Amino acid sequence: MKKHVMPEMKEGGVNVTPLIDIVMCLIIFFMLVAKIGVTRGDLKSVVLPKTILGKELKDFSNTLTLNVLPTNLDDPQVTTLVDGQPRDIKIFDRMGGQTDQPLLRILKEFKATHTDPKVIIRADKDLAYSQLESVLLSCADAEITNVAYETKEGKETPEGQNDTPAPQQ
Amino acid sequence: MKVKGAKKVHYDSGPNMTPLVDVVMVILIFLMLAGSFGGVSRFLMSKQGIKTSGGHGRPLKPGEVPDINLDIHIDNAHDGVGFVAQGTGIPPTADADHLEEVLVSRLKQFNDAGTKTDQLQVVLYPGRHVKYKYLIAIYQAAMQAKFEKIAFATSH
Repeated sequence: MKKHVMPEMKEGGVNVTPLIDIVMCLIIFFMLVAKIGVTRGDLKSVVLPKTILGKELKDFSNTLTLNVLPTNLDDPQVTTLVDGQPRDIKIFDRMGGQTDQPLLRILKEFKATHTDPKVIIRADKDLAYSQLESVLLSCADAEITNVAYETKEGKETPEGQNDTPAPQQ
Repeated sequence: MKVKGAKKVHYDSGPNMTPLVDVVMVILIFLMLAGSFGGVSRFLMSKQGIKTSGGHGRPLKPGEVPDINLDIHIDNAHDGVGFVAQGTGIPPTADADHLEEVLVSRLKQFNDAGTKTDQLQVVLYPGRHVKYKYLIAIYQAAMQAKFEKIAFATSH
């Protein structure tokens, strides 16, 4: 009797199924976690102070984010989005014997064009209060009293020590 | 009769996964580069505005009774590291946790005397050179003490 022989099977290469499984998981993770194309004009150079309290904002409509960085001058460096582009905005612009207040103008325009306007202040943790004060006064002059101070979640460590992760709540 | 080709190598073809892997890898690398993965941001909300000397942070509504202020004066520590906070009924302290305990007891005193929490306002009077991170620590201490209204005042 003739013996029936099954054809020899041979894999055509590396089995990529586990690779695709993992890569698909990573893609879904990044799609959910990454904020792509969403910008409030955050400056990466601003080192925010840490707090364990504070709200988590989901809706950034009607908000204007002001990045406030320390300088050696009287006024801080203030950066915000103007027409979708990050711009340095002076608080006082003293040119030709006249004093202009560009930040105040922007804040007034923002208040006029938004209902319940809110200013988010992203100030550097080492900023001196005198420099923050001028920004707060501009907000007050523009009659914007709704201000949110942005911080990072965590616990501030004493100076000279390394940061520790935030305690889980 | 001999069947030809029965012992030929038979490759398991199936769908060609190579283009899929290429595309998926490109998407993965794009997402990794384009995405921003900052830590969680917190927002300390204030509707009080900055309090200028002798005035209020925001105009009072008709018939609104001004809040009772609990002033806290903040200065840099003498060694330049840290802060010193003090006020009426608040002994000088350089520790935000201790300040929180003092504020809790002050709030209790006010509440026991019949003053509601929403009638109280903590006003922070920082010095010109006090660092923002110390102000935020004190702001947080006042929040943890359950004060609802916290405002900054112009520097001294």
